[in-house]
Amino acid sequence: MSRKMKNISFIGGVVFLFLLLWGAGSLADAPDGFSGFGQSTDISLDDNELVFSYYHNDDAALYTVPVSGGEAELLAKPDEGKSFLNPTFSPDGETIVFVEQWVEETEEDERQYSQLRMLDKSSQTVETLMNTSDYITEAAFAPDGESLYFLKASVYQNYSPIASERPHDFDIFRMDLESGETEQITDKQAYSMSSLEVTPDGKQLMYVTNDGQDQLVLHSLDDGTEETIVPEGDFASKAPIISSPTISPDGTYVVFSDVAATDENNTFVYEAFRMDLDTKQAEQLTSFYEYVSDPVFLHEQEKLIVTVDKNFAGADPDYSYWQISADGEERNRVTIEMPEENES
Amino acid sequence: MTRIEKHVEKILEQMQSPDDEREEIREELIGHLEEAKWQYIDDGLTEKEAEKQVLEEFGAADVVGHQLQESMYPYQRGLLYVIGIGTILFGVIFYLISAFFLHNPIPVWLTIQLLTGGTVTLAAINISVVGRYAYVLNIALLVNVIWNGINLAMMEGTPQWQAISFSIYLLILIGLGLTAVIRNSYYSSGSTENKPQKRVRILFSYIVNLLFGLAVTGISLFFLWATLAFSVRPLEATAIILTISPIIIWLIAYKFQMGYISKKPLLALLTGLGISVLSIIIPLIILRLS
Repeated sequence: MSRKMKNISFIGGVVFLFLLLWGAGSLADAPDGFSGFGQSTDISLDDNELVFSYYHNDDAALYTVPVSGGEAELLAKPDEGKSFLNPTFSPDGETIVFVEQWVEETEEDERQYSQLRMLDKSSQTVETLMNTSDYITEAAFAPDGESLYFLKASVYQNYSPIASERPHDFDIFRMDLESGETEQITDKQAYSMSSLEVTPDGKQLMYVTNDGQDQLVLHSLDDGTEETIVPEGDFASKAPIISSPTISPDGTYVVFSDVAATDENNTFVYEAFRMDLDTKQAEQLTSFYEYVSDPVFLHEQEKLIVTVDKNFAGADPDYSYWQISADGEERNRVTIEMPEENES
Repeated sequence: MTRIEKHVEKILEQMQSPDDEREEIREELIGHLEEAKWQYIDDGLTEKEAEKQVLEEFGAADVVGHQLQESMYPYQRGLLYVIGIGTILFGVIFYLISAFFLHNPIPVWLTIQLLTGGTVTLAAINISVVGRYAYVLNIALLVNVIWNGINLAMMEGTPQWQAISFSIYLLILIGLGLTAVIRNSYYSSGSTENKPQKRVRILFSYIVNLLFGLAVTGISLFFLWATLAFSVRPLEATAIILTISPIIIWLIAYKFQMGYISKKPLLALLTGLGISVLSIIIPLIILRLS
């Protein structure tokens, strides 16, 4: 074969190979949507019910299950392409507040929405608490059940081209559930803010923010003063990475999730830690050797429910819920039977 | 062109010799074959018969050409084939895995992968042309090495067994690529240096200069990654070009370095270092001032 022919056939072959692979690649299935349990849960005041999100093909619906486990019951199912997340029981257990998240694609780009919704348990109706172009991530009831505090971000973007888009410029707001009026509690435009809770006495708000490093903040509702807490303890990360803290029903200690070790692939292992609010000293509570997050206290018993992700380093999470004793000694998986998916 | 001349041209097609060397070989081969031809004519054959006889005895042009190439530039062509086909093969395997396991095939990536692999393979096919443009071949190889280096950094995101096996594969390709550049630079300098001591010095200088280049590339790509990762606003095209300009400056300067190394290997270490440092500092100053 002459050199010219060799060149032509080689270039032709490579072009053919490219087209073949390109065609094969476009035939490959788009990844299946995620199905499985969601990350955050809440427990009703009578300790009977656990509310959680469950994803079917990327869309999360709300379910309840007895705290001890059993058959789950569908509470509310979103329209296709939307998800119901971060549920919170009202103190009387009659309503559940959550956020509804979805993406709307316009010609130029896509826009993320995250809005506050309230579900009336008896009538099974979902009410829109407010419509805003801002991004609401989570809400917490005041102990009297008359008002609702929530976190709102006014920006949803990536601050760098290779980072994923996230909500930023956070502040805390309060909504009077009677009148529906809202007022702004903080004026921080914080880069991040999460895990908003009201202390059991109703006098303070607790949240996590990052000011160079993760820190827990107690915000006084009386005078707006703030106390910053950085837990001390034996963490495997250089600085504490405080995730999903929750305050105990007696208000004396906080349980949160932090890096306890690194596994053989250098992935962080997150465990629940218990920090005394007086000493700020944190002790490791669980030893799942997985990604433990989102602790929620039972109200009458010295127990918590935590979420455990058994596939933290993987593409999709594999969450399960576990009941642990407040000293971390006992643990039991909350076994949940999901009802057959009802398309109606 | 006579049959003998045509035959010799075909032989030379298999060789990467630069022009002057090519001319020498051409003259020598034609002279040798013509001499043999006249011998046969003296023995009573016609000119045509004599030519035919001579060429049959001498052997098929591509075989002789291949043997000459291998004796003068051992493994050079094979190295190019291995790097080129190896790069294409990686593209095929990784693209299929991206499509069917990771569900994220990137056609642009495949295009670049096949282009760089294809370019090196084409260089191997057209070795006689490329031999005359050693610098261009080095650029094609260095681009291949840099691209495979970027691929190597990408492997971190793949599942563990894949990451390990692909990383080993890519490291071998990168190693072969660098070896090919060093050997190619060395051969292209037409170094007829007989003193083994100086030969070692020249080779050493090529290797160190290439390491400077790798450092410049690594620093530039790291800066590019860092600015992409941590800048608040999307980068302008000029900023991206400025960030990778040290690589371009270094590659251009390497054309002159290649020749200089063969003449003054030790001094070339200093100029190489100077060029590398300047190639980073100048764009940095421009970036700062703008």
